[in-house]
Amino acid sequence: MLFFRSEEQVLAWCRAEGAPLRPMVRIDQLWGLAHAWYSTRLQRDARRPQPAEMRAIFAGLGLTGPFWNPEHDPD
Amino acid sequence: MLSDDDVAVKLAVYRHFAATGRRPTPADVAARAGVPADGIAEAYRRLRAQKVLVPEEDGVSIRMAPPFSGVATQHEVVSNGVTYHANCAWDALGIPAALHAPATVRSRCEQSKEPFRLEVGLDGPGRSDWLFHCAVPAFRWWEDIVFT
Repeated sequence: MLFFRSEEQVLAWCRAEGAPLRPMVRIDQLWGLAHAWYSTRLQRDARRPQPAEMRAIFAGLGLTGPFWNPEHDPD
Repeated sequence: MLSDDDVAVKLAVYRHFAATGRRPTPADVAARAGVPADGIAEAYRRLRAQKVLVPEEDGVSIRMAPPFSGVATQHEVVSNGVTYHANCAWDALGIPAALHAPATVRSRCEQSKEPFRLEVGLDGPGRSDWLFHCAVPAFRWWEDIVFT
């Protein structure tokens, strides 16, 4: 889970590493993910999102497709 | 379902990270949680099974208590004068989210190594055209969470 300066840098990194190209996420979307996962993390009743909740969080941020399905292997 | 003692251990780990930016020792956790130090390793095993944290191979050092990293990484976060390390780009934004505090994220472009600096306020980061990319699909994130 890495930062990149641009789409071109993502493509270059995937080529260099032999890594599959995956969906690219904007910083504002990444904040949405970080906030959904961690904003209650220091509280007593904190818990990780369950798969259905994860799908809803992803979809709410416009992140859809097999890559984002926590219960389905897209490969 | 976690026991009350396991919840106390979890909170002790997380609150130590939040206060200091560093991973706690078993003695730190025992003192903060009010549990015996010789039960910490077993509590960590149960918390690992619940995907709450990841201990090192020694069983008593914290490698990851997401979003906090127990070891230095390329993703550095500074908030209220405390320096933290995040496990990944996602967790770098997760630290200000968890702390509910403004922060400065310092990282890099993984390909070009260009430094990345992002100011994060209480409502999130300022506008940025940088990108996040993860090579591992959601289905596999916890198969090897340290690699992910």
